[in-house]
Amino acid sequence: MPQQLDIAPKLPQAQNPEPGASKFCPGCGHGMILKTLAFAIDDLELHQRAVFGCDIGCSLLAWNYMNIDSVQTHHGRTTPVIYGVTRAVPDTVGIAYMGDGGGLAIGAQHLVNAAVRNEKMLVVMVNNTNYGMTGGQMAPTTLPGQITETTPYGRDVEASGKPARGAEMVSSLVDTDKAFVTRASVTNLRKLRTTFKKALTNVSEGRGFSFVEVLSICPLNWRTNNVTTWERIKSMEEYFEVKDFVVPQELEGVK
Amino acid sequence: MTATQNKGIKVEGCGKGRANWHLFTELCKGCGLCITKCPINAKGEKCLQWSKEVGLYSTPAVQPDPEKCIACGTCELLCPDSAIRIERNK
Repeated sequence: MPQQLDIAPKLPQAQNPEPGASKFCPGCGHGMILKTLAFAIDDLELHQRAVFGCDIGCSLLAWNYMNIDSVQTHHGRTTPVIYGVTRAVPDTVGIAYMGDGGGLAIGAQHLVNAAVRNEKMLVVMVNNTNYGMTGGQMAPTTLPGQITETTPYGRDVEASGKPARGAEMVSSLVDTDKAFVTRASVTNLRKLRTTFKKALTNVSEGRGFSFVEVLSICPLNWRTNNVTTWERIKSMEEYFEVKDFVVPQELEGVK
Repeated sequence: MTATQNKGIKVEGCGKGRANWHLFTELCKGCGLCITKCPINAKGEKCLQWSKEVGLYSTPAVQPDPEKCIACGTCELLCPDSAIRIERNK
């Protein structure tokens, strides 16, 4: 039988301890990314200024994850809701948290226009190459040949095109002196924490738009076990290049 | 945080007696990602392995071998549900 422990779990202050275990599936990448984001908010002490918005899809299960002001929005409209908040209350650090469907499929128009207008907000786009909540259908980011519910013979590049590269798209639109655009991965969580700190610093100093695409894992819909999950994300990193695309000069020293 | 959520496994004397390793069974979902990422397991030795205790969904939890564990903190950093905590002795 498990014994009674004398210490409590080590949670970041920006995480809500009341719900206990999160609602995500075993091994979901959302848990790692949200934990790292909460630690980055702790490091910069943004608890009173931050507003967290989550999208429809698996990311909506984060609605009670954070210990900061949260709003749950509809189908890809996280970006406009959060920049509405940051325009009404200019000192706010807005965080829009979405999956690849909310960022590149149904919410792509809002992401494009927010990037062009250099809205002062952070967009975190979690890329797990499928639509997880509805059972693993093909998403814009599904890799060529990947088997999903709607592509049982693998994604056909002739019929449905090549995977969408979000960070490359946003980096071609933004103001390169003010915006911060990068792609990170859950395989290196220490680097991800530094990336979130850079992105949040860029927003909290009022410089401009920050976009972080995070390559994530989905063991249930990929039908992978713990070993093959890490092999799959390595093959994702070969297609989606993990690097900084646009970095303003002021952010060079942030660690 | 209520007291019932602090049930779990305690492994003493990890990292040559420098740290204690804790796992909270009401948070562990048994995904096994930490077993693959453990640097000692990657060298071919058996450090972090499945436990006889069960976690949240009655799936096996994990447990390190205190002789081989170096208390590096990789599993603590990685765990998606913050189920692992390593406490260094002062």
